[in-house]
Amino acid sequence: MDVFLRRMLLSALLCAAGAAGEVTYQDLLDDPEVAADWLNYHGGYAGHRHSLLDEVNRSNVKSLRLQWAFQERIAEKFEVTPLVHDGIMYITVPPGDVYALDAETGARLWRYSRRMPAKLIACCGLVNRGLAILGDRLFMATLDAYTIALDRKTGRLLWETELIDYSLGYSGTHAPLVVKDMVMVGTAGGEYGIRGFIDAFDVETGERRWRFYTVPGPGEFGNDTWSGDSWKTGGASVWITPSYDPELNLVYWGVGNPGPDWNGDVRLGDNLFSDSVVALDADTGKRKWHFQFTPHDVHDWDATQVMVLIDREYRGVERKLLVTANRNGFIYMLDRETGEFLKATQFVKQTWAVGISEEGRPIRRPGMEPSAEGIEVFPAVAGGTNWMSPAYSPDTGLLYVSCREGSSMYYKGETEYRPGTRYWGSMFVNETTMDKWYGAVRAFHPITAEKVWEHKLFQPVWAGLLSTAGGLVFAGGTGGFFKALDSESGEELWRINLGASILASPMTFEVNGRQLVAVASGGGMFVFTLP
Amino acid sequence: MRLLTYIALLAVIPALLTAARTHETNPMSSQEDFEEGRRLYRINCGVCHGMEGKTGRGARLARRTYRHGNSDAALFDLIEAGVPGTDMPGLWLDEDDIWRILLFVRTFAEKASEVCNASGDVAAGKRVFDSQGSCLACHTVGPRGGRLGPDMSFAGVQYTDQQLRDALLEPSREVTDRYETVRLVTAEGERVEGVVMNENSYNIFVMDRSENIRSFRKAELQSLDLPEESLMPAYGDLLSKADLDNLIAYLCSLQGRDEEVAQ
Repeated sequence: MDVFLRRMLLSALLCAAGAAGEVTYQDLLDDPEVAADWLNYHGGYAGHRHSLLDEVNRSNVKSLRLQWAFQERIAEKFEVTPLVHDGIMYITVPPGDVYALDAETGARLWRYSRRMPAKLIACCGLVNRGLAILGDRLFMATLDAYTIALDRKTGRLLWETELIDYSLGYSGTHAPLVVKDMVMVGTAGGEYGIRGFIDAFDVETGERRWRFYTVPGPGEFGNDTWSGDSWKTGGASVWITPSYDPELNLVYWGVGNPGPDWNGDVRLGDNLFSDSVVALDADTGKRKWHFQFTPHDVHDWDATQVMVLIDREYRGVERKLLVTANRNGFIYMLDRETGEFLKATQFVKQTWAVGISEEGRPIRRPGMEPSAEGIEVFPAVAGGTNWMSPAYSPDTGLLYVSCREGSSMYYKGETEYRPGTRYWGSMFVNETTMDKWYGAVRAFHPITAEKVWEHKLFQPVWAGLLSTAGGLVFAGGTGGFFKALDSESGEELWRINLGASILASPMTFEVNGRQLVAVASGGGMFVFTLP
Repeated sequence: MRLLTYIALLAVIPALLTAARTHETNPMSSQEDFEEGRRLYRINCGVCHGMEGKTGRGARLARRTYRHGNSDAALFDLIEAGVPGTDMPGLWLDEDDIWRILLFVRTFAEKASEVCNASGDVAAGKRVFDSQGSCLACHTVGPRGGRLGPDMSFAGVQYTDQQLRDALLEPSREVTDRYETVRLVTAEGERVEGVVMNENSYNIFVMDRSENIRSFRKAELQSLDLPEESLMPAYGDLLSKADLDNLIAYLCSLQGRDEEVAQ
């Protein structure tokens, strides 16, 4: 029986070893100081998308070369930011797959494939932006409106919890956020007359801890900002990963457009909390404060941009700030403890507002609302920027933003709510004349909002930015160019044509002492390193 | 009102689930339909599932319960849509033809002589699996268990009792690719044993005994051995006959769908 005894001993050892390599909550708090890994969609709770890795830097980036590529038959937009832990890269592949890849060579270790309904409902492609990680678990929000947990070593499904019936127009597309022992997910579907919400689940069991409705119900604060029953179909979707301040224990969620998009007549009022940032207590889901960027929006300017958390001096006082470049064409600065509005500065051409009041409300230019005949307004419907990540470098102190210059013709029409179908209130047409339509990477001083440099791009950009301690800003173009810019001057130091649009934000990590940089393009994941 | 509801359901169901299915239960029943189903099965399915539904790289169909559901509707949807992550593709056939195939496939179960069926004590078998046999060290049932061996959550629908007995007594007789054993020695002299997760000309990726996922450059290894044997010990020497019978009875009892297995 000594064989059996050895066997028992082995299983005891296995139990002891089970904890090795697990991601702890402390690791998530320390990210991005744990520079080798990339453990959160933004590379850290503060939403900086800045890495402390500096092996690749201004002096050697011109030698950057392809280390490996991963390709799948992806007909959809590939918007994922990978996570990397323990030498393994985790990505989602639309519509419902998750892959574990060896981070040094790209070899596949496992694949999870979700059985999806034949008819999924998503306005803008069957996309997914990535995962969250804690312990030995990966978390994903799915297009059929579930939150799921997978074993990170095998891809086995551990639990799945339905958010709500997907056939009503709901879906999950953003990388979840893990805080403490909870995983948080918001629901997309702002073009389908949903009533948006944010859920928190127990990471072990998948049980719901709390829900926050981004459209308040009767008796709740803000419900009176919706005329009649319009709150029931008010939209206010959530589709980008929030930022989190562990000291304040507040999660900062950017909330999407009100529905219907371009006809506000059926939803008179400010329409809270559409186009807002809501600061929620992580433990309870209760709102501490909110700030609405575009009250009663009629241009589809979701506030689902990344909330960048910065601690800096403002008017002689050290403050906890929240800075965000909004789709409506202004960069906002708020006090993230109280939600107090501090400042807004225009960062792209816009024609809809005369300015922003001292309280932070836009002072609208008359006659810029959508009409039956159509009205041309800057910025375009996709905004001055969009969901793609900005970056903030503590080294340069600059905020880097992917900018979109252009206009749309906004039309207003009739609309009728039918569950699971588009609830738009007419349409838009993008102005495509080249003199009006271009992209840029811009560096701003976050306090003065002064533009420090600009790197022009041929087309409006859908790719996010990555800043590194190597003095670099990585950027991608709709035309397929992936490039490295000098973080102080904007000078282009390196570029490569990946052959398909880049519709994702880059990230960087380290394996076996070497820094690698990754970005999705077309149906591929491309990973670069020095020779 | 009931009729109206029914009509409304008929209109909604195909739009939500699949493009094609308009029935909840198989409308085909004639001998001609059955013969046509057999013909279509042989053309489309037999190469993987075997002509009798018993052999091949596809799932064993000669069984009474199926992992993805037993209703006509669930099986229709599975045949039409395929199973993501596996080699099972969806079939581009008319609705009637898929129903005919299902009519034929249903006869496999009636002839299924080899089902998972054991006379032991299920509760005692669970104790063997959980503690005495250390099975959980490498196998999962529901949310619990190790990663080095196959998931046993659905053992009762995936294996016959004879297959389970063979695997317990002679684990090395048949080892699936996914759980191929590897033993290697690194340049530094470290001995590593585990299962192969992936391999190419240059690298091999291993889940070691401690469930760490590790990559190795083949050229740098002192030795690399892929023995055709399982990491699992032969249980004939380790368990009594009664314990083995109970263990097999427990494994056969694991028949449920996901929600029934989850604890």
